[in-house]
Amino acid sequence: MTINEAPILQKVAITTAQMRSDLSDVESRLMHLGFIEGAKIVVKRKSPLLNGPLLVEVRGRVVALTQTEANLVRVELCP
Amino acid sequence: MIPQIALVGMPNVGKTALFNKLTGSFQRVANFPGVTVEKKTGWISEDGQKIIEVLDLPGLYSLDATTLDEKVTKDFLLLKDKSHHSIHFILVLDATNLDKSLYLAFQLKKLGYPLLIALNLMDEAEKRGLKLDLKLLSQELNADIVPTSASTGLGIDQLIIKIKNLSQASNDLNLTIPQEVQKTFRSPSYINGIFKEVDELLAKVTIQPLKPDTLSERIDQWVLHPLWGGVILVSLLILMFQTLFSWSAPLSDGIEFVFSFLSELVTQNIADKTVRSFLVDGVLSGVGGVLVFLPQIMILFLFIQFLEDIGYLGRAAFMMDALMRKLGLPGKAVIPLLSSHACAIPGIMATRVIDNYRERLITMMVIPLTTCSARLPVYALLIGALIPNKAVAGLEFIRWPGLMLFFLYMFGFFSAMLMSLIFKKSLPHSSPSMLLMELPPYRIPKLKNLMLVMLNKGKIFLKKAGGIILIISIVIWFLVSFPQSNGQSSIESSYAASIGRTFEPLFKPLGFDWRITTALIPSIGAREVVVSALSLVLSIEEGSEGFENNMSMALVNQFGIGTLVALLVWFVFAPQCISTFAIMRRETNSYLWPSVMVAYTLLLAYGMAFIARHISSFLF
Repeated sequence: MTINEAPILQKVAITTAQMRSDLSDVESRLMHLGFIEGAKIVVKRKSPLLNGPLLVEVRGRVVALTQTEANLVRVELCP
Repeated sequence: MIPQIALVGMPNVGKTALFNKLTGSFQRVANFPGVTVEKKTGWISEDGQKIIEVLDLPGLYSLDATTLDEKVTKDFLLLKDKSHHSIHFILVLDATNLDKSLYLAFQLKKLGYPLLIALNLMDEAEKRGLKLDLKLLSQELNADIVPTSASTGLGIDQLIIKIKNLSQASNDLNLTIPQEVQKTFRSPSYINGIFKEVDELLAKVTIQPLKPDTLSERIDQWVLHPLWGGVILVSLLILMFQTLFSWSAPLSDGIEFVFSFLSELVTQNIADKTVRSFLVDGVLSGVGGVLVFLPQIMILFLFIQFLEDIGYLGRAAFMMDALMRKLGLPGKAVIPLLSSHACAIPGIMATRVIDNYRERLITMMVIPLTTCSARLPVYALLIGALIPNKAVAGLEFIRWPGLMLFFLYMFGFFSAMLMSLIFKKSLPHSSPSMLLMELPPYRIPKLKNLMLVMLNKGKIFLKKAGGIILIISIVIWFLVSFPQSNGQSSIESSYAASIGRTFEPLFKPLGFDWRITTALIPSIGAREVVVSALSLVLSIEEGSEGFENNMSMALVNQFGIGTLVALLVWFVFAPQCISTFAIMRRETNSYLWPSVMVAYTLLLAYGMAFIARHISSFLF
């Protein structure tokens, strides 16, 4: 699943965050912010109205991202 | 030449607070050469002497810059700007979040930068229980580390001593980073590698970890709540609107009062008519016309900076993002767009809150279509002439003129939104449109920073836009007052009227005769002036008894309904105001974009006025 589909307030681990070698600007920014493989993140909030953005906690900070941006990152539930 | 240092760091690490603490109020704000990214310079002084120049570089998440701000800092770090080859860098880290901020430290270390690190917000981190082996951290990073706090003053003196030592040592830093190396900044293996190093180092140097901060999270339960968060946001926007419209009015009135007093003084003491008119109608009204913007600009920026420093601006962007994106703009655009309903000048200056340059440009381009308060006297005059003051459907509190005014506001706003969609489709992409940003923890704003920002914004406006506005005001005065015959001048025989007559054929399809085209010329200075200019060409004395009624009658009798409707629509779209042009020149650093703005609004005004005239002539 992607971050978009991840359950709220549960720890999930990133499985693949774009592993292609030439990253787009958005992918690069995502990775520099800490969305890398193995990173544990928590979806804090979703705003479903008008397909609104999400809030995700990653490396101790809260990051806002649009659904399109969230769809670039795949995650799985942490055991 | 005094030595230079530059502060580098990620966004939200308290860099600006540290900069203010180091430099006091010795600051100057300008643009970086060629771009409209703010460059803050300050000085560390000793016994009243400036000893070191300090530069506050825009925050960046990584050396792989994706935004304009980040690119400026990256170019600076990679010494692209050769005039700064002898500069030293201070890296500012956030002690309350080393997980994130050490990333940049490792990037710089890898490139071989000798680092002086200000471990900022240390007071807060210690309160939350953080204990670090600073000695080991310093060894591992091969850097000098000073724990600092801008609010308590912790470590500031020590930092200044280190800076002085640094700046005395010669800097033989000659880093030219080859393109191939720069490309690796973007590769997954490089990024993963750095995060691994950060984690390993943190595991080694952390004696006692930080307790999590739950305060921001608790505040966000309310502030980002779908209902209550919306209520808070709307209340704040209404407060901003109210402040700009009403509370800045006494200040603007005060400025106008002082200038009318000065005009009176000149009128009484100077006998020569031409000199008197030059001073009163040219210089004083020009300077007054510049200064009158100041209260709105300064109040708006006080408000915006307060929201920024407290940590709310990003949250507002988060709340508004989905809705604004449907209209082709980012969430943060709501602030400039709303404030431009008071005046386009502070609105255009406020577009700096938008990180993406392309989106910022689109917002600036459509702002002139929103209904600014200078249009209100014009609308009032024309609505008064066109629409009878009657209740709508027998409801006393809804009257046709009010409804018409509301319709004009909506007309302006939706035209702006439509144009933004058109610009979004047609302007080339320079950088991607991203939300992707960090929401900082809530912090208490520092009054000093708010004051500094407010004063600097006022100063920039006066310096960069004031001059052009003043010159054009004097040119317009000249056109309206010359040539004179027997020491008398009248608008009918002025240069403005000759210009008006020359353009008459062009505006015939809109029904505008030379009197209207002439009256439009002084309105280039300020829209509301068209009211007195029209009264001049219609020979109705302004302020005389029954002025409004007489004007309404004369307008309808002389020009006809179709033409007045066309004129009303013209004012919805036409650019008119030279101050808008001047501030756009400054904010885009080009003549191209303000010219495009003038061209498209003129075309739109002409086309829409043409359509409006023909529809209304058909109906009435």
